[in-house]
Amino acid sequence: MNVGAHPTPTAPLSPALRSFEAQWRARKPDSLATLRASAMARVLQLGLPTTRDESWRYTNLRHLALHGYVDAPTTPRHGLRPYASLSLVSGSQRAATVLMVNGHPALPTHMDAWYNGIEIHSLRDMARSDAGLIAAHLEPLSDADQARWALINAALFEDGLYLRISGKVTTPLIILHLLTADGAHNVAHPRVIIDAAPGASATIIEHYVEQGEDPPPLCNSATHIAAGADSHIEHYRVFATGAAATHIDSLTIRQDRNSHCKQFTIALGGGLVRNSLEARLDEPGAALDSFSLLVGHESRHVDCVNIVTHNAQRTRSRQTARAIASATSRVVFNSKVVVSAGSVGADSRQSCRGLLLSPKAEIDMRPQLEIHADEVKCAHGATVGRLDPDMLFYLLSRGLDRETAQTLLVFAFLADVLTDMSVASARAAIEAALIAQLPDSKLLQAFR
Amino acid sequence: MLLKISNLKARVAGKDILKGVDLEVKAGEVHAIMGPNGSGKSTLAQVLAGRQDYEVTGGTVTFEGRDLLSLPAEERARAGLFLGFQYPVEIPGVNNVYLLKAALNAKRKTAGLPEVDAYDFLALIKQKMKVMQMSESFLTRGVNEGFSGGEKKRNEVLQMLVLEPKLAILDETDSGLDIDALKIVSMGVNSLRDPARAVVLVTHYQRLLDYIVPDFVHVLSGGRILKSGDRSLALELEKRGYDWVQGAEVA
Repeated sequence: MNVGAHPTPTAPLSPALRSFEAQWRARKPDSLATLRASAMARVLQLGLPTTRDESWRYTNLRHLALHGYVDAPTTPRHGLRPYASLSLVSGSQRAATVLMVNGHPALPTHMDAWYNGIEIHSLRDMARSDAGLIAAHLEPLSDADQARWALINAALFEDGLYLRISGKVTTPLIILHLLTADGAHNVAHPRVIIDAAPGASATIIEHYVEQGEDPPPLCNSATHIAAGADSHIEHYRVFATGAAATHIDSLTIRQDRNSHCKQFTIALGGGLVRNSLEARLDEPGAALDSFSLLVGHESRHVDCVNIVTHNAQRTRSRQTARAIASATSRVVFNSKVVVSAGSVGADSRQSCRGLLLSPKAEIDMRPQLEIHADEVKCAHGATVGRLDPDMLFYLLSRGLDRETAQTLLVFAFLADVLTDMSVASARAAIEAALIAQLPDSKLLQAFR
Repeated sequence: MLLKISNLKARVAGKDILKGVDLEVKAGEVHAIMGPNGSGKSTLAQVLAGRQDYEVTGGTVTFEGRDLLSLPAEERARAGLFLGFQYPVEIPGVNNVYLLKAALNAKRKTAGLPEVDAYDFLALIKQKMKVMQMSESFLTRGVNEGFSGGEKKRNEVLQMLVLEPKLAILDETDSGLDIDALKIVSMGVNSLRDPARAVVLVTHYQRLLDYIVPDFVHVLSGGRILKSGDRSLALELEKRGYDWVQGAEVA
């Protein structure tokens, strides 16, 4: 990277980008200053992605770029709502929750928290004590067009979480991301690093919710998972904000030998949600199971991009995407599997299915393959359709009313993704949240 | 009269299939409708159950005096009509028990009854599952999900036993069953025989009628009922084949 170079923009800067640059200039230099400067320089050079960029074809950020943004507050203006009302996992299953307000962890200052084999650090503190380690986890995997927002995040995040997982952790850890604004056009840059030591295992749930009367801040979140050899990580990102929310989330995963990651992306809310997953299976035997559950309703827009790169022999990836779109919503799922040269025995499968619930809704699904190696097994399929008339008739013939029958079938369609969730209470909570977003949700509640 | 079909004509995908069917079924009766492939047996069953893509082009059907054809499928079911499907569809993700409970409650609501108590309901299902010799795993599985052909048919009869319809139309419920499964299914159907109910069996083979003895046998061919009789007609058909009836009409 062109470290230390002064930014030389190639195009006139949008108000949004100008405000990001101003934020960057106003930050006090820290131990990551060099890295941040080069990230900012790169973004200023590239500009914000537009629909001319391949991976942004379906998502227009023009409106978003018209405003300048200021940092969202580090605490909610009117205090916190009770935890319980926000928590995803409740009831009998135990889980630990770490609260992040607009990316700022609500941890005691200068104190590391331990939780059953997970070390929980403030990213700011960690960057002070071990800048090299943090920098290594911040290097974006690529500067392709889907990574530009992650570069902005790297330049601008003020704090965040660094989790070091050393043991086999059985209790899930929930990161509750609270998004709350003070006035209009706030922005938050939450950053989480999950660093799994060899042989470690854990379940991490990132849950994004909003609070407050103002529309929530533009959320530009980024998470990086480094999965050490033989580690097992189950990661959830659950977007459950309201119709006024705009959320851009960049998740990167790098996997070592024989590691296994199970990743769930659940887009239930947000007016515009754009989430990317960029995974690199860097060593032999690494395996990734990715599940995307994308729910478009009202006039919402959900755009999910997955890029999985097989960089070693005997690596395995499975991508399962289920999308539904009702009313005038639009859901996009682009997934690309790249098998690099020499990755003999790579095994990948992409299963993408979309269900249209209204004539004005739209679903675009594009599974792609790019293979540079021999002796690989790669399969992909995509279908978009409407409810199966045979199934519908079967339910009607048993006396179920049409609304209930349709809702049941929609739910059943999404079940492929839900059944693979290992955290029963998270699954139940996600199911409940999902049901609430479906047409005729009241009818379906009766079934739970 | 429970069911009265008069000169029923129906079309599927632009092709006339039913060309004037007449049939009367009284409470307490068991009717068997037999006929060669493509004679319109399944079409008749689907039209009665309210399948939308089957277009009725003529005739009338009354169920307990009501115009059946004007009711949507779900209302026919709630009024007490049940179709046992020839090919029950698999619905992964919709649990068998949820479906049964929803179906039963829909029917109870129509009858002005409160929703079934969860405990009573489970007891009822378990009792009926015993009759149908179904394994406990049924309770946690999706509707017909991964069921063998025989299990699917047993599930149809189980649903029928739970819903206790006034009129059950069983479309080739015997096809694909081995002899043991055939006995179980027949026992289930016979357990529902009652002076207040009726059963219409649609079948290819006489074999089923050894276990569920019908009061009337009809031969449907070319979209019309060509011949009606008692049990002995089925035996005669088995000996002489459908050509015998078709030939008789021409003559």
